[in-house]
Amino acid sequence: MDGGNPNRIRRFKGKQSKLYKRILTEVERAIQIYPNYADLYNQFGLLLAAEGDMEGAEVRFLEALSLNQNYREAALNLGFLYIDMRRWKEAESIFLPEIKKYPKDGFLRHALGVLYLKMGRKKDALAQIRKAIQCHPYYRDYYKKKGILHGGVVLLDRMRAGALKKSRLNHHRAQFHNFIGLFLAKKGKSAQAVRELKKAAKLRPNEFLFHSNLGTVYYYDGAYLNAIKEYQQALKMDPLYGMGYANLSYTYGSLNRTREALQYMEKAVRLSPHYADLHYNLALLYSDRKRYKNAISELRKALRINPDYLFARINLGVLFEDQKKWSEARREYRKILEITPDNEDVRMRLERIS
Amino acid sequence: MLREDFIIQTNVRRILIRSNIDYSEITFGTVRGVVYLQGVFKVPRQDGISKDTEEIVAKTLRSLELKIRGIPGVIDVKFQLLNWKKERGQWTAATPTE
Repeated sequence: MDGGNPNRIRRFKGKQSKLYKRILTEVERAIQIYPNYADLYNQFGLLLAAEGDMEGAEVRFLEALSLNQNYREAALNLGFLYIDMRRWKEAESIFLPEIKKYPKDGFLRHALGVLYLKMGRKKDALAQIRKAIQCHPYYRDYYKKKGILHGGVVLLDRMRAGALKKSRLNHHRAQFHNFIGLFLAKKGKSAQAVRELKKAAKLRPNEFLFHSNLGTVYYYDGAYLNAIKEYQQALKMDPLYGMGYANLSYTYGSLNRTREALQYMEKAVRLSPHYADLHYNLALLYSDRKRYKNAISELRKALRINPDYLFARINLGVLFEDQKKWSEARREYRKILEITPDNEDVRMRLERIS
Repeated sequence: MLREDFIIQTNVRRILIRSNIDYSEITFGTVRGVVYLQGVFKVPRQDGISKDTEEIVAKTLRSLELKIRGIPGVIDVKFQLLNWKKERGQWTAATPTE
């Protein structure tokens, strides 16, 4: 496979260029091994876009979308690429269906506003700016700072519109640094990963994902307090993201602070009640605090979602044993043996109480 | 003193993700200090089993087991893997059953 347009603009120097080439080669190799993975084409596109190879990037994003038509990240990457390529109509045709699917995406509203200004459609731009302000307080502050929102009124005279039109959306650059950060994190290079993710977060300060990823890198590196700070920052941006609270719970767990872990896991379960894993973890927290009734209830919920969740059944069996509910315990162990007949550990548990 | 299961579980999660393991087909649980790992054990980009990859995976499994046993409060680690088995302390690739 070729590495895109040979005439692409070289933007990386020295160490950065070496790292870029290494990542590009790895992604190219991965595509050769897994030619049907849409995310690899999306990553390849981001790398090419970061280097200025717009045509090459376009081809890769389109390939990602042909493999997975619902791949939102690739669609947005393509949309922003079209803005960079001044192909306004094509960008609009990508953003409009996305806005329909995610009407409260402030960044997308803002981007569409900027796009409409570039297209000379001031009225449409105004409508999107107003909606962006309603979507997220970040945009209210942003437009206030730019002098566009004043006393609750959106002012878009020629000068302000001109400045906004020229403002950078930074989508690709931010996504690029995010990708590099995750790549480095996987290689165990946490310090470099944090640097890249911080660059991404600086370019798009209101992007939930970058802070969440930063939190995860800090977490796996054992920098728990930094992880908590980033997870909390991410949750400020998207307070309804259940997994964000689960991440906070795991982090507090690693700090042995189970009181906070319980509080956040309860919130995670409330917001994401369809994840068996979250119910399971909440059950562990209840069980550790000897709140057996709550623990049993959560394990049952986990098993309703995933009846083959074997550990939940073992935990349930053990809790029933604790309460001397022998027949219930036997029932759970027998169910496990129906699924995994070779499970010697459970067979021994069953024999012990039979 | 027994460490709490949730804390052990979070530590196992962290170990799995930090290790060079493809944990996409692994599930794990903790029951009163006993850690269970179940599923298909792979190292990233492992497309088949050659002598070399077998040695790498066996080494990774030994290291993983040691790390998990090192978590305070862990009493035992039970692997219930579909593609690997431990016999007389040695990890070997399991022959798939029909």
